[in-house]
Amino acid sequence: MHISRRLAIGTATIVTLLVLWPVLTLVTGTIDTGRFPSPIQFWQSLRQIVTVGYADGTLWQHAIQSLKLVVMGFVVAVSFGIPLGLLMGWSRRAEAFINPVFLLIRPIPPLAWIPLAILWLGLGDAAKIMVIFFAAFVPAVINTFTGIRMIEPHIIEAARMLGTGRSRLVMEVLVPGAAPMIFTGLRLSLQASWTTLVAAELVGAITGLGRVLNVAQTDIYPAMVLVGMIAVGVLGWATTRVLVSIELRLMPWLSVRA
Amino acid sequence: MSAIQFKDASRLFERDGKTFPALENVNLTVADKEFVALVGPSGCGKTTCLRMAAGFEVPTAGRVLVGGIQVPGPGPDRAVVFQQFALFPWKSVEDNIAFGLRNKNMPAEERRRRVSGVIKLMGLESYETAFPHQLSGGMQQRVAIARAYVLDPQVLLMDEPFGALDAQTRIVMQEELVRIARVNPRTVLFITHAVEEAVYLADRVAVMTRRPGRIKEILDVRAIRAAENWDRHERVEDVMDLESFVHLRTHIWRLLRDEKFALDG
Amino acid sequence: MDVNRSPLPSKVEAFFLGMAGLACFVAIWVAVSISGLVPRQFLPTPWEVALRTFNLLWEPFAGASLPVHLARSFERFASGFTLAAAVGVPLGLLMGWFRWLDDMITPVFDGLRFISPIAWVPFAALWFGTGLGGPILIIFSGAFPPGLINAYRGARFVDRTYIEAAQMLGTGNLRTIVQVLLPASFPAIVAGLRIGAGLGWQSLVGAELIVASAGVGYMMVQGQSNISTRTVMAGMIAIGVVGLVIDVALRQLEAFVRRRRGLR
Repeated sequence: MHISRRLAIGTATIVTLLVLWPVLTLVTGTIDTGRFPSPIQFWQSLRQIVTVGYADGTLWQHAIQSLKLVVMGFVVAVSFGIPLGLLMGWSRRAEAFINPVFLLIRPIPPLAWIPLAILWLGLGDAAKIMVIFFAAFVPAVINTFTGIRMIEPHIIEAARMLGTGRSRLVMEVLVPGAAPMIFTGLRLSLQASWTTLVAAELVGAITGLGRVLNVAQTDIYPAMVLVGMIAVGVLGWATTRVLVSIELRLMPWLSVRA
Repeated sequence: MSAIQFKDASRLFERDGKTFPALENVNLTVADKEFVALVGPSGCGKTTCLRMAAGFEVPTAGRVLVGGIQVPGPGPDRAVVFQQFALFPWKSVEDNIAFGLRNKNMPAEERRRRVSGVIKLMGLESYETAFPHQLSGGMQQRVAIARAYVLDPQVLLMDEPFGALDAQTRIVMQEELVRIARVNPRTVLFITHAVEEAVYLADRVAVMTRRPGRIKEILDVRAIRAAENWDRHERVEDVMDLESFVHLRTHIWRLLRDEKFALDG
Repeated sequence: MDVNRSPLPSKVEAFFLGMAGLACFVAIWVAVSISGLVPRQFLPTPWEVALRTFNLLWEPFAGASLPVHLARSFERFASGFTLAAAVGVPLGLLMGWFRWLDDMITPVFDGLRFISPIAWVPFAALWFGTGLGGPILIIFSGAFPPGLINAYRGARFVDRTYIEAAQMLGTGNLRTIVQVLLPASFPAIVAGLRIGAGLGWQSLVGAELIVASAGVGYMMVQGQSNISTRTVMAGMIAIGVVGLVIDVALRQLEAFVRRRRGLR
């Protein structure tokens, strides 16, 4: 009963906002459509970018481009980040060795790498992937590291008592033990990847959703800006859902509890 | 062959930058295939002794030997039953139990046989595919014990293995352990808070002082058990009713009370 | 993990290992830079970067010296962050207390959550040009969610007994919120603000890269177009340092609050 009340109020709010949108923009003119689009303008822009295209590409093309870069950057970052986190979590020596360098890199906001990336790699895909790498790498390392440290010490002791070899220890004890936190890290990495990608494309790109946003801004085309933002949001949501479903698939013992 | 020897074993531990002695000159020998129970006040270092024999900790002075060799590190020859179970939450009951055997590269057929044997022994049938969090504390403890038994180890190190069990299950497990120990004797170091349990199960009971722990006294239960023929009774409660049992138990209680209420030096 | 056969590295050993790690990093950097594998223009040596950073302390670039740029950036950050805190924390507390408010706002919030703060930059530019409003909007969108969420969680999950005690004493809604919920959730709120500050600072940098005429981000973009890698790196260092200082300061505050509370 409580749930349906929540659902009711939530739906009511969203519906109200959706109704207010055309009213305030078209009917009363309270919102200046030069600043924020009306539903009609939004729809027209959407149609435009889907069929004819905008900023040198259709919505689909831009979306694929952005998605492609996010996935590539994310995968590379995570492929380096998780093993490094595992190493630092397991070996205090490795942690002591690597930590200072890590602490040096960490405070630099991922977006701050953009100018350097463009300087080094130009306006193409490589620069974007580099920046995404730095953004996604850090949460992956930190969360994997924490995940290992949070494994109950007795479980590690039990594994050693049972004569577990190194590779089996990593694959069947450390990784599953750290898995919940690793996935938290992955979710954060994905979020960071999207943010960084959009920013990088805003600064300089040839195609991609960020480029759409950039051109729309220069063209003073708020409706297209809104289209771009929503497209980014939708892709972000979709990729997160994929990640979550992988998480649930790989960790049956957690979802059984839930 | 698989005797445990503590020779002047001492261990310091550190907290907040200060060192405290946990154990001081512990001298104890668990003979080959002997069952020794270790009792003592809280914090006296009994678990530390077990952990040194297991190879999780190294004595800061003195030596700990198993089978005549200084303990190199943990291994399946010295199976440990942890107080906190330490089961792998992401593995099913049977995978948890089979894990150690897989490490030994045991062929699948034999592995399966052994695992199902020990599952039957521990009364875990129909829980093979369950995950630890789906089981009660008592059942998890049984899985932990099964995991150790299945290794058929020379040495069994048990740290309050029945602590999580309710009174009735505890008695059943005690009786079972006695039966197993008689049939297939091995070297056992058994830690417990429950004096009755120690006297019931052990060949000898070692009583430790409070921290820093030392061996206060060792009681030979086996001799009394043989002399008074405790084994004629199958039920725990009948054995615990015997005068010789009560006498022994009370003696140990008195030793512990000495330690509990000794004034700080 | 005590379980490794070898003992844990001592504090001294850890220190030296750390120094060794840093040394390796610097050595590789210097080697790649000096060897000419990468043109000097693109990878200056560490000391060249340090020198440049030092220079910028008084020598203007892209309109102002580094401290002035930093001040402008920080100014925007402070405004945006204060706004985010001033709106987010009370709103979070109210949402935690009034269920219907929570039911209303959370769905909208969840929907907007996936749009990263940076995506607001174009609208910020459209609405505010290069004025102060733009960056503030961006920082707000970055710093607002954690502040809100933590205040909400703090209020929602506050120990029931405090609420019951307040109700028993006949405390009205507003007073309960201000004098019970707020103090009770203070540690969570400070933690949320710390995270929000980090996100806000980062979002600011992003915003300045795109739409600004002053500030460290702007300086870096100019450095990039002038192929002055040293300037770009100097900017990165400055941003990192300030971000670190903000984080450390807030961590201290958080620790202080927790200690006062007797939390671990």
